[in-house]
Amino acid sequence: MNSYNNELDIKNICFKQGADNILLNINISIKKGQLLSILGPSGCGKTTLLRIIAGFEKPYSGEILFREKNMSNLPTHKRNFGMMFQDFALFPHKNVFQNISFGLEMKKLPKKEIALRVQEMLELVNLEQYGKRDIRELSGGERQRVALARTLAPSPDLIMLDEPLGALDRQLRERLLSDLCFILNRTREKRTKRKIAKTEEIKSRISEKNEVNKPITTIWVTHDHNEAFAVSDIVCVMGSGKVEQIDSIENLRNSPANKVVADFLGL
Amino acid sequence: MDKRDKYLIPLIVGFIPFIFLLLFYFYPLAGIFLRSFFDQNDFTFQSILSFKLLKQAVFFTNFLKIFQSSRILSIIWFTFWQASVSTILTLIVALPCSYVMGTFEFKGKKLIMTLATLPFVLPTIVVATSFQIIPSLIQDITLLLLNSQVVNLLLGEHIKNSLLDNQFLNFLKNENPMVMIFFAHVFYNFSVVLRITSSFWSSLSKDMKEAASILGANNFQTFFKITLPLLKPAIFASAMLVFIFCFSSFGVVLILGGPSFSTIEVEIYRQAAHLFNLPVASILSLFQILFTFGMMLLYTRLQKKIDRFTPESEKFSLKKPYSAIEKLLIFLSVLFIILLCGFPMAALLLKSIYYKGSLSLIFYRELFLNSSGSIFYVSPIVAISNSLMFAFITIIMALIVGSCAAILIKQCSYTNENLEINRNFGIKKNIASLQTLFGKLLEPIFMLPLSTSAVTLGFGMIITLDKPPLNLRTSLFLIPIIHTLVAFPFVVRAVLPALKSIPLSLKESASIMGASPFRVWLHIELPIIARALSIGAIFAFTVSLGEFGAALFAARPEFTTMPITIYKLLGQPGIMNYGQAMAMSSILMLVTSIGFIFIENIRQFGHEGF
Repeated sequence: MNSYNNELDIKNICFKQGADNILLNINISIKKGQLLSILGPSGCGKTTLLRIIAGFEKPYSGEILFREKNMSNLPTHKRNFGMMFQDFALFPHKNVFQNISFGLEMKKLPKKEIALRVQEMLELVNLEQYGKRDIRELSGGERQRVALARTLAPSPDLIMLDEPLGALDRQLRERLLSDLCFILNRTREKRTKRKIAKTEEIKSRISEKNEVNKPITTIWVTHDHNEAFAVSDIVCVMGSGKVEQIDSIENLRNSPANKVVADFLGL
Repeated sequence: MDKRDKYLIPLIVGFIPFIFLLLFYFYPLAGIFLRSFFDQNDFTFQSILSFKLLKQAVFFTNFLKIFQSSRILSIIWFTFWQASVSTILTLIVALPCSYVMGTFEFKGKKLIMTLATLPFVLPTIVVATSFQIIPSLIQDITLLLLNSQVVNLLLGEHIKNSLLDNQFLNFLKNENPMVMIFFAHVFYNFSVVLRITSSFWSSLSKDMKEAASILGANNFQTFFKITLPLLKPAIFASAMLVFIFCFSSFGVVLILGGPSFSTIEVEIYRQAAHLFNLPVASILSLFQILFTFGMMLLYTRLQKKIDRFTPESEKFSLKKPYSAIEKLLIFLSVLFIILLCGFPMAALLLKSIYYKGSLSLIFYRELFLNSSGSIFYVSPIVAISNSLMFAFITIIMALIVGSCAAILIKQCSYTNENLEINRNFGIKKNIASLQTLFGKLLEPIFMLPLSTSAVTLGFGMIITLDKPPLNLRTSLFLIPIIHTLVAFPFVVRAVLPALKSIPLSLKESASIMGASPFRVWLHIELPIIARALSIGAIFAFTVSLGEFGAALFAARPEFTTMPITIYKLLGQPGIMNYGQAMAMSSILMLVTSIGFIFIENIRQFGHEGF
């Protein structure tokens, strides 16, 4: 495999907490625009891995390469990644608009541009009229969509979704799963096209960063194999700190690598 | 339970705290109110009914007289000014420490937090006494240091000598009362800010900061755009509390300020007790009540905002310190807290056992002798036994009134839950919603005495409950009643959460197994709330032991308490009296500290606020 094609390379990552090995020699590569889901039971180290990629935790050993650049010494706020937290972590003292615009403000974009981009994001998640709402007034599903809009707004190079449906009840999960896929796909396909219709300035800014029609690389963490199968290009199955198998959905179904994988997928 | 029981028991239970409040809180306050509106001598029901009194209404003339007096105006100005400066100083000192306490987990943290909170529960008189001795102690230590060989070698003879006779020592000798007052207020209220903000700080979810940083905010931006705005209500709420406490500061200003400094509270005491000018004292009390009420209201509103910002899931995100800088931060703040909170207490203890250049227990021994042979002498041992007796009565009354109030509040919140069921019945619905309103009002009503200063309470009682059928002026119960007013809200606060934590199913399962309501209470409820009751009892105990303002106002010589004795000893000349004051203060400090440490250890919940 030519490493040049890989957007993200996770190399030999180990993580320890005291004497316990939380992660042991994790190696994962993701190609540009792929949606990889990390699937595993709770406590297997999925979230820790995400936190290492995000830069919240320092690995014990190993490195994270993004576009062939070592990220180890780059602080979180300079990585230009996006992350949607399990409990959404929306800022309670800011309204919907202010939550979504936060990342854009940090990039010091002009106010006009921020307003345009936020409006665009609100349209994307079907919450056009919600800009001035207080976070506390939102339902679980609405919060999830605001969190997604906030994650997407600054056009991150990589999106991480930590159990994006975990905080919702089952009925809502099923409905929102398809919504989420739809929105993600739309951003992944129409990002630049939509932008062209807006100002020229934004257009040039966006196309500088993202080549036309290239979707954003995405990592989706879940413990639900149905969810993983529904959304991903490839799936990485983890069991207690180790990668058990990385493969396409079809291969996973047809030839699970070992008993752990087969059991977890319910095969 | 049949229908009659259902309403009868709450009625009886609710009757007790209501009568208590009505008689000993609202009635005296109304007395103050009337005094400030009408001339002092006669206000009887007849004269009120016949509007005779209106003609004698002197409120406005009194009011004008008072607020035209430049002395009173300067006192009001001073009260605001010193409270604001004390609040700002407290915030400046406490917030960095509360960052450290709210962010890191380390060994001995609980001990440090207890030490930091101790000053808050210390009697004002003890605080004032220990701050009185600090300047002379610092001077002694400096002299000792300057005369030692080490300093000689380090600084050289020349510099040392110039330090010895120059203004440096004069500066230390010069006891600036304002500096001491500020210092004492910071010492006192440090823990209010520390505990409220650090517990809120640690409950701010880590996710929030991480979300900001992944959206591109650096540490600086995260702090100013996320952390600080979220902390703001907690900071304001604690600042508001500190302001209220400093605004109604009595003992500290009375003792440290001397005759030249006076807060409204001190002035009420002087006007009423020294000058017998009741109308002026009444109007000042009214001003004080209205102002603290207003501040309390603002505080409760802020409290609600805090609840709104508190994350729904209670996850405390404390981390262990890793880097050297983090460890240094912890070391510095621990050192600071030990110095700020421990030094004055240690100074007091030291002074109480230091006599003519050596350690001795002479002051403690002297407490029990009447060496001056005075006939007005009330032995300190009598004061100690009085204090203990008052504390004991206070505990019993506060427990009764407090737990009845808690039961009533809980009963009313049950009605709230049943509201849904009652919806369908027309009239019942109205009754139920009335009950809901009542239930919501109950808690703040029972907290009211907390926002009224003890001096005001004492003053109100003296001017209203001074004639038959209820003449408390010479009664043994006057002081315990005032102490109960201050202490029972603490009992409510301790007992209510415990009562609410008992699930209905627990009681139902007991009664289905054949337990009568009384036995349910005895075997199920009482054991569960016993711990809360003991916390309330200790609170009542420490409040009663240390209370100074009301006792100074109301206590007759034969009912002198420990704080009053300390105050009187401080006012008399001679090293013996002074030393005895130190000894008595030390005893009081130790007893309250032990009580408080006991509370901290049996406190069940992770609750760190006030």
